[in-house]
Amino acid sequence: MALKEFKLPDVGEGVAEGELVTWHVAPGDEVTEDQVLAEVETDKALVDVPSPFNGTVKELLAEEGEVVPVGNVIITIQEDGDDEEAAETADADAEETADSDDAQASDTGGESDEDSGSGGRVFAPPSVRRLARELGVDLESVDGSGPSGRVTEGDVRAAAEDDGSEDEPSGPRSVQSNGKSATAKRDEGTSASASAAASAESADREQTLAAPATRALAKEEGVDLNAVPATEMRDGEAFVSPEAVQEYAQAQREAQAADAEAVSAEADAGTATAEATGEPEAAESAETGPGAGERVPYKGVRKAIGDQMQRSKYTAPHVTHHDEVDVTELVELRERLKPVAEERGSRLTYMPFVMKAVIAALKDFPYLNSQLDEENEEIVLRDEYNIGVAAATDAGLLVPVVHDADRKGMLELADEMNEKVEKARNRKISPGEMRGGTFTITNIGGIGGEYATPIINYPEVAILALGAIKDKPRVIDGEVVPRKVLTLSLSFDHRIVDGAQGARFTNRVKELLEDPKLLVLE
Amino acid sequence: MVVGDIATGTDLLVIGAGPGGYVAAIRAAQKGIDTTLVEKDAYGGTCLNYGCIPSKALITGADLAHEAGNAEEMGIHADPVVDMSQLRDWKSGVVDQLTGGVEKLCKANGVNLVEGTARFKDENAVRIAHGGEGQGSETIEFEHCIIATGSRVIQIPGFDFGDEPVWSSRDALEADTVPERLVVVGGGYIGMELSTTFAKLGADVTVVEMLDDILPGYESDVARVVRKRAEDLGIDMHFGEGASGWRDEDDGIMVTTETEDGEENEYRADKVLVAVGRSPVTDTMDIESAGLEADDRGFLSVDDRRRTDVEHIYAVGDVVEDTPMLAHVASKEGIVAAEHIAGEPVAFDSQAVPAAVFTDPEIGTVGMTEADAEEAGFTPVVGQMPFRASGRALTTNHADGFVRVVADEESGFVLGAQIVGPEASELIAELAFAIEMGATLEDVASTIHTHPTLAEAVMEAAENALGQAIHTLNR
Repeated sequence: MALKEFKLPDVGEGVAEGELVTWHVAPGDEVTEDQVLAEVETDKALVDVPSPFNGTVKELLAEEGEVVPVGNVIITIQEDGDDEEAAETADADAEETADSDDAQASDTGGESDEDSGSGGRVFAPPSVRRLARELGVDLESVDGSGPSGRVTEGDVRAAAEDDGSEDEPSGPRSVQSNGKSATAKRDEGTSASASAAASAESADREQTLAAPATRALAKEEGVDLNAVPATEMRDGEAFVSPEAVQEYAQAQREAQAADAEAVSAEADAGTATAEATGEPEAAESAETGPGAGERVPYKGVRKAIGDQMQRSKYTAPHVTHHDEVDVTELVELRERLKPVAEERGSRLTYMPFVMKAVIAALKDFPYLNSQLDEENEEIVLRDEYNIGVAAATDAGLLVPVVHDADRKGMLELADEMNEKVEKARNRKISPGEMRGGTFTITNIGGIGGEYATPIINYPEVAILALGAIKDKPRVIDGEVVPRKVLTLSLSFDHRIVDGAQGARFTNRVKELLEDPKLLVLE
Repeated sequence: MVVGDIATGTDLLVIGAGPGGYVAAIRAAQKGIDTTLVEKDAYGGTCLNYGCIPSKALITGADLAHEAGNAEEMGIHADPVVDMSQLRDWKSGVVDQLTGGVEKLCKANGVNLVEGTARFKDENAVRIAHGGEGQGSETIEFEHCIIATGSRVIQIPGFDFGDEPVWSSRDALEADTVPERLVVVGGGYIGMELSTTFAKLGADVTVVEMLDDILPGYESDVARVVRKRAEDLGIDMHFGEGASGWRDEDDGIMVTTETEDGEENEYRADKVLVAVGRSPVTDTMDIESAGLEADDRGFLSVDDRRRTDVEHIYAVGDVVEDTPMLAHVASKEGIVAAEHIAGEPVAFDSQAVPAAVFTDPEIGTVGMTEADAEEAGFTPVVGQMPFRASGRALTTNHADGFVRVVADEESGFVLGAQIVGPEASELIAELAFAIEMGATLEDVASTIHTHPTLAEAVMEAAENALGQAIHTLNR
């Protein structure tokens, strides 16, 4: 009947945190192994988190809407049965000597058996022992950081976190490992940046160790010790040095000076009003500053997209190449094939044609289908064609990937893409179905507009945006005639691809879309 | 089940309302568990009714009388008269107050109280036989059970507690007169506590012990301080002799003993107190019906959560094997069992169990002796502070004994302590805390202790182990 803890597993590779969207259980509920406990949103997907045990829910440790770091305990479950612990029963010690001695020995109330234990004893206070039991940490395996190696609360918590990251008992059902080295690099990068962010945030501590003189200095400088970045850990607690306090105080002063400057600039702009009404300037800036209006949390999918875009934009130097393509024949072809496809139960859009054209062009220009392995300073030319199709959903932009698109027929592409886009819109798509892309196509035309500057779906090298197909005048054989025209916007990573190659790639796509019969040869 | 008998149900049934059982029941009820507590005799068990509390009441009375009558050195001249009957009534008043308190606390916490003797029907039900004829019986079904039936005194061949001159410790505490001559069989802690008490109340006391010293289990230098004091009180001690029987004489009784060599000795007495230990009470409950089996001495084996082999049945206190029969151990075990049933991550994993003996002077011990520490693989370092170097001890006119602290030389962790001297039973608590917290000698030595107190001796002993003592010569 042990109380088991369940930590938020890494529901996607390298994901550092997730938003707990919905609890499907409540305290007191009986749960069985694999029963869905909660829905967690991470890495652009909603993932069901199943129970690894049979038992009764004891406590929910995260609230709906809360963003929980991976590895944090989110629920405790009272497990049914517990053979492991029953086995802990100590073997009876050797019988004592004569019966009369027995009687007198118990009469003496002598030393307890614990007293004659082994020298390998662990020194830890009762509160730490209890915590170790709560977190499932074996005290004997913990290195104490306290005086003479005494095990502290911080040591136990650190050990619990280590355990959690190394052998999590259960993970989400829908996640599959990709196994591609380039992807793995990307994931390492993600987790590294996540942990860097975590350490920056940890300056807001509840407890900080510091020498009395440092505390006095902090008081003098008007600095909250718990906000100062720790210089080292002692006894499992953050320790702050006088230098760190001074550095932090200086940074605070500079920030305040900058703020003051900004405020006075704003105030200058509104001087006329302020002077006319005689209101203090600060009141004016508070009204008009960033504090006004509704505040929407920047988290979940929105933040995941934002992080990804930011990383892409500031890592890969983007170049966008624009062009137009006469797709009159493609429109006619698609009109003819559409009913045939429908008879076969498929819905045929222009996208599969574009995908076919893009794949053909990628084969001719493999650097557009590559990735930059920054660490090893190598360009990895991908030998597979996994085409991402960006889909606008209520939650934000999601990119389902049609894997091995080069090996699929037109209708197969249509069906798979439609299915995955639908799943993305319903937020039922798994992270694995959005991972491993080598090139992305985004269709802005459905909504309107002609050209765009699409941001590359990092670490891919290029992205193609499609505008709307519009009737536009074209000169054919000296006559102006209306034609169906599609705009193309190709963004590519200038580190890998130069303008000429981008243009040639686009020309190849154009060629195939202008004369779609050529696609038959592809 | 008899006709018309409807079983009632409870989440937790606790059998026995001693310091293990009532504590477990109250804690379980505090945790929201529907709890029923069965007691056949008196709330508070042996400790409150027949052991710790009445004996300490009697010891206090005896000490007071003895002190008052032996303070000429301080210029105090008195010849106290002890009204044994009145002392017993006062003691009973204290006991009644405490047992009444236990009952009230149980009720206030929502524990269902049932009087009677429990016997297992199977592993999920007991039959409670209510005391007295015509009181009937009832069946209670339970989800969990805690066995806390405690222990009873051991009777030895030739001495029947039913015979009027033969006292158990329980009889001795109920005495309304002080026997002129008392033979005590057993030099363990109960024997020595009662020997010194009755000696102070005016009895001529003879102690007969099979082993070669009093207080087996305690180090010889600790026992020596108590033995010397007992000798000063006029207690006659005989070692290597086992009591074999007694017979009526014209003037009282004659207690006979035998040595290993078959030599016989005889001691005249009015009463003979047999105090050779206690055995667990596991033979009255039909534990076999619940699938349980006690070892050949009657103890139940449990895990560190105090679960028996039948997972939903727990055992705490004197019935548990391999733990000392001490009320505070029972209480701790009761709390562990109750909290584990409530689903909490608890375990009985105390690093050291303190023990106190209320002899004159008192003994307090916790954790390892120097020999224990060595055997366990430590390199022990020992610090000692004699009470004769303590200002406060001298002003109490009780300066026999010492505080000894045992620690690991390398790490400085406190591993154990032995105190013999005034208020040792109280002083030992500090060192129990130190061990439990993983404190080092430096931690204890660096803690400011109030002056002038006996507790300063603890600090001094730690300093002595560090070679930094001020008031004693460093070892």
